[in-house]
Amino acid sequence: MRNILQEIKNAVRSRSIHVSYVDVGSCNGCDIEVLACLAPRYDIEQYGIYVHNNPREADVLLVIGSVTPQWVDKLRDIWDKIPEPKVAVAIGNCPISGCVYARRGTLTSPPVEKYIPIAASVPGCPPRPTEILSAILSVAPLIFKDYEERKP
Amino acid sequence: MKYLYEKDLRQMKYNILTSTRHDETVRAVAQRLGMSDAKLRRALIQKLDMSFLENLESRWQMGQKHADNGDPVAEELGCELFTRFIPLVDTEAMQTIYSDTTAMAQNTPLDEAIRRGKERIREAILS
Amino acid sequence: MKKTVDVSIPLGPMHPCWKEPVRIKCETAGERVLRTEIELGYMKKGIERIMRGRPWQEVMFLAERVCGICSVIHNMVFIETMEKISDIAVPPRAAYLRVVVNELDRMASHILANFSYCYTIEHETLAMYLLNIRETVLDNLERITGSRINTAYMIPGGVRFDLLPEDAAVMLADLMKVEEEMKRYTRIFETGPLIALRSKGIGYMNREEAIRAHTVGPTARASGVEDSDLRLCHPTYQALGFTQVTRTEGDNFARVMVRFQEVFQSIDLIRKCVDTLPEGPIRGGGLCKAGTASYSGEAPRGELTYTITTDDYGRVVDITIRTPSIMNVEACAHAMISEATSIADVTSTFISSDPCIACNER
Repeated sequence: MRNILQEIKNAVRSRSIHVSYVDVGSCNGCDIEVLACLAPRYDIEQYGIYVHNNPREADVLLVIGSVTPQWVDKLRDIWDKIPEPKVAVAIGNCPISGCVYARRGTLTSPPVEKYIPIAASVPGCPPRPTEILSAILSVAPLIFKDYEERKP
Repeated sequence: MKYLYEKDLRQMKYNILTSTRHDETVRAVAQRLGMSDAKLRRALIQKLDMSFLENLESRWQMGQKHADNGDPVAEELGCELFTRFIPLVDTEAMQTIYSDTTAMAQNTPLDEAIRRGKERIREAILS
Repeated sequence: MKKTVDVSIPLGPMHPCWKEPVRIKCETAGERVLRTEIELGYMKKGIERIMRGRPWQEVMFLAERVCGICSVIHNMVFIETMEKISDIAVPPRAAYLRVVVNELDRMASHILANFSYCYTIEHETLAMYLLNIRETVLDNLERITGSRINTAYMIPGGVRFDLLPEDAAVMLADLMKVEEEMKRYTRIFETGPLIALRSKGIGYMNREEAIRAHTVGPTARASGVEDSDLRLCHPTYQALGFTQVTRTEGDNFARVMVRFQEVFQSIDLIRKCVDTLPEGPIRGGGLCKAGTASYSGEAPRGELTYTITTDDYGRVVDITIRTPSIMNVEACAHAMISEATSIADVTSTFISSDPCIACNER
């Protein structure tokens, strides 16, 4: 028998995703593409996604950039502060490989996967706002669906 | 869970000062003050925040152009330069040094007075 | 009598208003801010260290990635420095196309900065209007260069793509729309009583302070520093008859208004460019040689200086980049915020100087 409470939760969660983004040392390009998602043209809020920058009430964490020395310990702190269920999405090439910064002499230490678990990544330098939007929309329901039932 | 996170910034501040232009500026300032580069770097890292360190070069340039125009004693000592442009010395401390030096310059030769004044500025920076 | 407690309030590195991570520690007495200290290092990628010893073909793309918001001007100043070292002449058509792309980028950057300010003072309607009009500007940038953010449009001796007449016509029609809308938004900003309450007379920086910290760009122009726009020295802009916008108030309102006015100026410049676009090739020849040069250009945020040393093979031996945000963030933190009467104004004052931490730390 299906759990009715779980069904309601699934329905509600699929239309209410709170997004928080953290820039751990990028060139700002991906940053402003995430911001551009807010624009009425892409209208991120019509999908029930609300972008603000508070990790304590976020469901989805967008990680931008290769990891700089200051973030090595703090990124994990931010991840711990997000309440369950949560998911991290890497935006751009930097969190995946370090992009142009992963060369000799760099101060960064990519990839981000060393510090927090990444569920999905959107490659691109920078990716388009539509790609970011579709990534959030496709990964969030997968993680949040039947979360309580799957919990051990 | 730790609630206060203060990281040791000295390594990162030193990284800022290793850029070519910053290094040249630090050397120029050290030469002007007559002290070693390493000591000045330590004083800079202790006294200024990271944004000041990044901006050291422009402030030094603007200081050379606009600071202490007119008064020869103030110009030699760098009264405005080291208090308002690059704030390494307190304004009060610099004021005392300046007035002492001008008072001393009436009895002793000017060079000797300025040498003493610079000595005191170095002490104030390293303290 | 109530006891005044001195508290150090850290803002950031993650803050709803900050677009990029930076930490400002404000020492306060009650509501008043006495002293501020900026903690950086959240964006330090060491890009100058990566650039050393690499051929210019690679450094060109790295230079663009110093800052994503003003990537076109980073590209332009790097390329013009290389041209200065190697004595490469640019065909006139290419020089004009560079101005068109650069001004489109400046418009996008200024509109984004004003969006951030409106968002910070919680005027979300105007913020969303501005963000939407920015998309139109970026569309035109994409139509010419093929990319929205990192365009890599300029190369030594010319530009990559020509401006087709049909693209130019679409761009001019779009600019007409942008100008009309921006006029409306400027009026909303200028006459809004609540905006004035949060902007006028707040974050004041006088001219002496602006000169002392060597502030550049709209931050300096709002404080009345003359001849602070390097476009006055650029030959193509001189041919187009460029004049500088200066305001004397020196507060948050003036800084945002300078950016609004510069958007209109950019639109005029692009129109003039398209009207007087010379015929001819868009790419000349040339070989990158050894040498040292220092060159400055006007980024959306102010003066941007590249000092480059190259060797015979066109490799970059030594490079230093002085970005405008270094000066502006420093002046903002130590001159504007340290006299703020309320801790609530710290965020809006900081955003009004258009800080770009990625530029600041490189």
